[in-house]
Amino acid sequence: MIDGKMKLLISSLIFTFCVLSKGALEKLPLTHILVQLPLLICVGYLLVEDKSQKIGEWYIGGEWNKGGYASLLIAIFTIAFWMLPRSIDAAISSGTMELLKFLTVPLLIGVPLKLGWHRTHPILKGFLKAQAISMLGVAAFIYIHAPIRICNSYLENAQQDLGYGFLYTSIALAVIWSAPLFLSQSAKSFHLQILRG
Amino acid sequence: MIKPSHEPHSNLIKFTMLLAGAVLLLMMIIGLLMRAAQGDLIEIDAAIFYQLMTAHGAGMVGAASLTGAAIMWYFVSRYVHLVQEVFVVFLTLFLFGVLFILGSISLGQFGAGWTFLFPLPAISGGAWETGAAAAFIIGLILIGVGFLLMNLEIGRKLISTFDGIGGALAWPVISGKVAPDDAPPPAIVASMATIIFNTIGIVVGAAVLVSSLINLYVPSFEVDALLAKNMIYFFGHVFINATIYMAVVAVYEIIPEYTGKPWKTSRIFAIAWSAILLFVMAVYPHHLLQDTVMPAWALIMGQIVSYLSGIPLLTVTAFSLCVYLRGSNIKWDLASALLVLGVAGWSVGVVPAIIDGMISVNKIMHNTQWVPGHFHIYLLLGEVAMSFGFMAYLIKEAKSSEFQMIDKTAFGVYLAGGIGFTLMFLVSGAMSVPRRWAVHAEEWMLQDRIATAFALLVIVGALIFVARYIIGIATYRRT
Repeated sequence: MIDGKMKLLISSLIFTFCVLSKGALEKLPLTHILVQLPLLICVGYLLVEDKSQKIGEWYIGGEWNKGGYASLLIAIFTIAFWMLPRSIDAAISSGTMELLKFLTVPLLIGVPLKLGWHRTHPILKGFLKAQAISMLGVAAFIYIHAPIRICNSYLENAQQDLGYGFLYTSIALAVIWSAPLFLSQSAKSFHLQILRG
Repeated sequence: MIKPSHEPHSNLIKFTMLLAGAVLLLMMIIGLLMRAAQGDLIEIDAAIFYQLMTAHGAGMVGAASLTGAAIMWYFVSRYVHLVQEVFVVFLTLFLFGVLFILGSISLGQFGAGWTFLFPLPAISGGAWETGAAAAFIIGLILIGVGFLLMNLEIGRKLISTFDGIGGALAWPVISGKVAPDDAPPPAIVASMATIIFNTIGIVVGAAVLVSSLINLYVPSFEVDALLAKNMIYFFGHVFINATIYMAVVAVYEIIPEYTGKPWKTSRIFAIAWSAILLFVMAVYPHHLLQDTVMPAWALIMGQIVSYLSGIPLLTVTAFSLCVYLRGSNIKWDLASALLVLGVAGWSVGVVPAIIDGMISVNKIMHNTQWVPGHFHIYLLLGEVAMSFGFMAYLIKEAKSSEFQMIDKTAFGVYLAGGIGFTLMFLVSGAMSVPRRWAVHAEEWMLQDRIATAFALLVIVGALIFVARYIIGIATYRRT
């Protein structure tokens, strides 16, 4: 198992990588949306350690986040904001928005996901996964078939590449999330999830 | 042999079946009106005919899926603890979905058929507004979400109880690691397989439904018509097939109560259900055999898998049923008779589908009444018969277990009506009478009129089944 300090180190390294490779990753929407943003989410996700929190029980297991709903809602609304092409455009053209992106994606998506996901009911988890797979398919359709440039900062063919990226991500997530369920070993951990859920 | 260890959610399921029974009757009456209109026995405006056709299609698919879901939930909940509230949420979403669909048809005059095939919902030629098409699509999405939640609840419990999907599909029995006596019961194997393909179908369906919704309001976002058709038919095929795969659970669970011989998960049974899991998803291109722009391999796959699809059904369920019934001294009553009829109807109904699944035949038959002939046998004498059988089973203790004259009459009338009604579709199809036409030529009307008479018989039989069910429930409540 990776301990808290190691997670913090990895988180810092990923964040540094995202900052240093900003220009390269933001050159194309494909790498901007499907590489940089997920990496920033990982940064936040790794920031929170389950047990050794100084803030204490309230933070990890408090009533405020019963069922993980509060933190999941924060994460979902922040994701929704950064899904808007206009937000992505602004992050490129405005330094303030860029800074906001580097702060909000880890802190308002990664951290809440970590805080809420393990408390989320398995049915809701399954629903959110199914939703993610199908809506990535819809996003793929939108980006591939859009008759206009959705982002002013990117070319039309680049946005089509992103569309295909969404499609392949959707397929990959479907496989990654469902394949372990066929194995009995993972079923046991799934059972634990149920007991915890 | 794993035995049932939990009390099923009887009251909730009885209520659900009551709702479904009422919808089935209503939809049958709509079907009767359509056939009568085609036979020029009554006059229905063409626009209204297509609205009725859309309501009939969506309503029947909905009622079949609702009964299938209720049956699966009832029997799975005997083996694992299912959270009843999930079914309540499912039912609520389902009913809201139905409201949206009925509203889109009755208030918005939506009439594009239940398959909502792109681009028809968006290009109505003034027959309906965008809002009506959107309401229809939202209704379908609500129903899909309901099913997704129900599948997740059943799926997670089966996965945790039976050691993964593989365990619930009885793969250890296939590999010989576990003896059939220790295998999950057939109801579990069938439910697990159905949940997997139905969930995949719903996820694909959700994607194409939302894409269609976007296209409705922003037409410049054009859906790739071929991709949309593939996704719609993948979803539609899987969803309607899932109804009967859920309903057959009733046969696996109820028939052994009559024969006294437990229905075991044999190696062949487990292999067959894993094959069904793949076939149901791979066979859908047989709906697109006339789309010449489809890749040749996909169409060939559709034809070959159509042949193969019948094998697990016929060998495993139909053949096994015959074996279980043989020499069992079964005491027939309405429930057992209807369940056996359901398997027979399913087995017979698959034959016209296999024939139409041949590319050379499909070129001629696809848009004829041959196809409704297939799916009406499949549903009317298959899934719906099983559902009525399950309803009779639910109230079995409330009435005498004898196969009373009224039951025999209702069964006979329903069977005769069902055979005659579906046969008229097949005959018309063989004569190249087109399907989905509101107005028929004079030469086609004889079959339409005969079918109308048979439809009336079906309704009389179904009315008695539902009436008996209501009386049975009322008797339960009194005792």
